[in-house]
Amino acid sequence: MKHSIQRQLTFSLAMLLVVVGLVLAQAGLWIVDRGLRQHMQDNLQTQAESLLAALIKGPDGIELNSRHHDAVFLKPFSGHYFIIEFNQQRWRSRSLWDFELPEVQAMGFSEQLRPGPEQQQLLIYQGQYRRYKTDIKVTVAHDYSPVLISFQQAQIIGGGLGILALLLTLLLQWRLVRRALQPLEQARVQIEQLQLGQRSQLEQDAPVELQPLVQQVNRLLLHTEDTLQRSRKGLGNLGHALKTPLAVLMSLLRREELQKQPELLALIQEQLQQIEQRIQRELTRARLSGDALPGAFFECGQELPGLFQLMNRVHGDVLTLSWQAAANLRLPYERDDILEMLGNLLDNACKWADSRVELGIEQVGTDYCVRVDDDGPGIEESQRQQVQKRGSRLDEQSAGHGLGLGIVRDIVETLGGTLQLLDSPLGGLRVEIQLPARL
Amino acid sequence: MRLLLVEDNVALADELCAGLQQLGYAVDWLADGRDAAYQGAVEPYDLIILDLGLPGLSGLEVLAQWRAAAISTPVLILTARSTWSERIDGLKAGADDYLTKPFHQEELYLRVQALLRRSHGFANQNHLQAAGLGLDEARQIVHSQGQEIELTGAEFRLLRYFMLHQGQILSKSHLAEHLYDGETERDSNVLEVHVNHLRRKLGRTVIETHRGQGYRFTGAGVQP
Repeated sequence: MKHSIQRQLTFSLAMLLVVVGLVLAQAGLWIVDRGLRQHMQDNLQTQAESLLAALIKGPDGIELNSRHHDAVFLKPFSGHYFIIEFNQQRWRSRSLWDFELPEVQAMGFSEQLRPGPEQQQLLIYQGQYRRYKTDIKVTVAHDYSPVLISFQQAQIIGGGLGILALLLTLLLQWRLVRRALQPLEQARVQIEQLQLGQRSQLEQDAPVELQPLVQQVNRLLLHTEDTLQRSRKGLGNLGHALKTPLAVLMSLLRREELQKQPELLALIQEQLQQIEQRIQRELTRARLSGDALPGAFFECGQELPGLFQLMNRVHGDVLTLSWQAAANLRLPYERDDILEMLGNLLDNACKWADSRVELGIEQVGTDYCVRVDDDGPGIEESQRQQVQKRGSRLDEQSAGHGLGLGIVRDIVETLGGTLQLLDSPLGGLRVEIQLPARL
Repeated sequence: MRLLLVEDNVALADELCAGLQQLGYAVDWLADGRDAAYQGAVEPYDLIILDLGLPGLSGLEVLAQWRAAAISTPVLILTARSTWSERIDGLKAGADDYLTKPFHQEELYLRVQALLRRSHGFANQNHLQAAGLGLDEARQIVHSQGQEIELTGAEFRLLRYFMLHQGQILSKSHLAEHLYDGETERDSNVLEVHVNHLRRKLGRTVIETHRGQGYRFTGAGVQP
């Protein structure tokens, strides 16, 4: 998958939120846990001391004043337990019932939770006191599992809330980023349109950050178009400079002095013709813009009538010319390139046709298909290869369909398309050209 | 037929002038675009051959000026600019035909003949045919009822003009304007002599005289 700013922002934010959220939640729980245990510890100590205070000296020695200790010690497995040990005597709270508290060696508060009855988790405090000249060891235990359970609940609720908050944040962030990146998206769409030939410039009213980019692209487009026009003009001038003297030479061939020397005349004529064809082909090739201008396009409905008017001027007396294309069909190529291609194709077809030439342009999927049919003699299967051959030399194909199609092939190659010679339903040759969509 | 040739290459213009004159056209030659814009607008040419790369004013602008001034003289563009987009631009500017350099002179002459015929309503004809007469412009011979009749250069020029303007009354000065270039002295007596020669060869009623107005080619009573 390609790199996307939007995706990258969303992903990194999500990671950040998850990590920070987890750390914060865990730290919070840990702090609360610590505080609670501290509080319990104080409680347990107080309880131990109040138990000690409840010991009174009775007639049979030391006894526990039951009024002085809590009822919670009477209910079995209430979660509050004690053991009082002195002089081989061992008093257990009734709440312990048949459960034996785990043995704890160290005095004071035991850090670890000890297993109690009925899956209880016990915090245990053990104190060594001396009263009535007797060493008394008081062990108090308290069930911590309700707290643990509520912690677990808090974790589940907190986790759920966290995920919800995360999703909400991501959604908001996605929308915010999308909004912030809107101009970039617009630029992307515009560049796509540029490639498709639906526009020739990018919109100027981009945000400040994008201004230099948009301006630069527009300037480059203008510059390319300008350069192309200039080089075309230059080539036009060069052509003019070369072709006019050629025209003079060709008219000089009519002079009587030369007419008397037919061999010489034929030789000069042939050479002049070669020069002419070479100039024609190379100039045409050099003038092609190819895909230098992404914003250029050829509008069928607008250009074809003019082209056919021109073709009719030359061939209309003898031939019926017709074209078929959707009125709003646009080819994403430069006008001059397409005109040159169609002009040469039609001219070639007209040279060979007996009575009819038909042009059809249509969009096939994303590609464009151009067909020119004539009802002339067509080309033999074996000779088609010759005409289509890449880079076959000009003088080898000066006869017949060769030259016109040679120029057409140059153009089609520059545009990245393919050319095929087929049998036409009209009886002659069909030239079919596939042009790819430019993207 | 009087033509204007606008071409800045002297050698080519010389050859073309000579060739066109041989074919019986009266030719005026100009090399500058500004002169052409003016002269094409005031002189009654039957056809203009226009180069596009001209000093002073480009051929396309000259053409645009003529068309803007409602001058409908047929214009054949003769240029080295051979791309199809340029041809279409030329056509849109108002050109009637477009020939690219280099070219064979015969091609140009055929296009000129065809354009003249077309502009006078003789479409789809390889030879000029009117009132039972067929004119072979290459050999300067007229076919009448299966017979070939030889013509002198002056007779050929006159007959061609008559045939293209069949049924119209043409004054002597009009004929002189269209048959001679700007530099030839126009003598109306010479015209009368040629008209009489044509009548002798083709039949007396072929050309009517309308006293005080001029001549009218009817083609009636063609006789060998």
